[in-house]
Amino acid sequence: VSASEPPEPPELPEELEPEVQYRRPAWVEPPADLVPGIVPVELILARTPERAIGLTGIRAYPTGFGCTLHLRLREDIPGEQSTFGAFNMFGDGVDPAGEFADYYLRVGVGFADGRKATNLDHRRDLDEIPAPDPPTLWLVRWEGYDRLAWEVDAWVYGLPPPGPLAFVVEWPARGIPETRVEIDAGLVLEAAARAVPIWPDPTRR
Amino acid sequence: MSFFERPPVRPPSEPRMPVWARGPEDMIPGVVPVALLVARTATHAVLIDNLLVYPTGFDFNLAVRRHPGHPRYPEHRWGHDLRLEVRFADGRTADNNLRRWPHPTGDQLPDPPLLYQSTSGPDGGHVWLWGLPPPGPLTFACHWPTEQIPPSQAVLDAGLILAAATRAQTLWPEDVSA
Repeated sequence: VSASEPPEPPELPEELEPEVQYRRPAWVEPPADLVPGIVPVELILARTPERAIGLTGIRAYPTGFGCTLHLRLREDIPGEQSTFGAFNMFGDGVDPAGEFADYYLRVGVGFADGRKATNLDHRRDLDEIPAPDPPTLWLVRWEGYDRLAWEVDAWVYGLPPPGPLAFVVEWPARGIPETRVEIDAGLVLEAAARAVPIWPDPTRR
Repeated sequence: MSFFERPPVRPPSEPRMPVWARGPEDMIPGVVPVALLVARTATHAVLIDNLLVYPTGFDFNLAVRRHPGHPRYPEHRWGHDLRLEVRFADGRTADNNLRRWPHPTGDQLPDPPLLYQSTSGPDGGHVWLWGLPPPGPLTFACHWPTEQIPPSQAVLDAGLILAAATRAQTLWPEDVSA
């Protein structure tokens, strides 16, 4: 290590680094070493005179897929902003079966074999062992601006079987009934097969 | 009459973001059906992912990936982020250098293209580009000296961006307004 480089943290000796380095599990995020295949879906999942929920851009990998939720208000609603109660999906201490359950936007995916994952599922710890059975739904990025728009990137761990793949939303307190939009899961499976290794040489592992 | 009288609704006083700093809120964007690998070293890669297009511009994830054998996170230092430049076929460029961020007055709109990186860190960030490219090659170039990523680039056919822009959907067209 030359003098111009920052010193190594003492708790991570160089020779132990690959073993001790904390890595997030596959059900939390896409694999780091693949370029995804894209399914150009552009869906409006729900729309009322005041609010809308869109879903775009499936990024498919062999372990699952990502997509973006677009939460929109048509006009300012003081006190509501555009989060659609979505922050409650990320916080600890939220009881989705409790008194305020109807105030949360509900989001989920449904597979043709009956399996599903939603944002009301039991919240898991990142280091949970054993890993949960697929599918799981994890919200990996959220960003809002100007009170009217909110973008949420979701990661669905687990690929769907062939057949219809359903995206479902419901927001009881805001007049959005359970609404389901289906696409052909084959599109996601084909895109996952198009994912390309970033570092194709396996001897580098 | 209720004991509790509701106060009059007070509209938020927070200023609005200018139209050139974000996509239109009343639209769902069109999707570009490819992801781009812009840079790759033995330890790092930079992807342009999730290209979502509106009639006024497009946004995307600038994703920094680390080789699974080298997952160590750098100490994030302000001002040492990945540098990104987008080049249009007509020679116009935009980059994520905050010192070039415009300060237009009143309703004056800055000249496109303009690049606004809303989040930034060791995983990359999220980027909005104000302005659509002309047909031809659209170049994404990056450079990250502190992570030893040399100047690197990838080229996308701007036609894919322009086609996605035409697929952006208006959520509340006037003829179906409530």
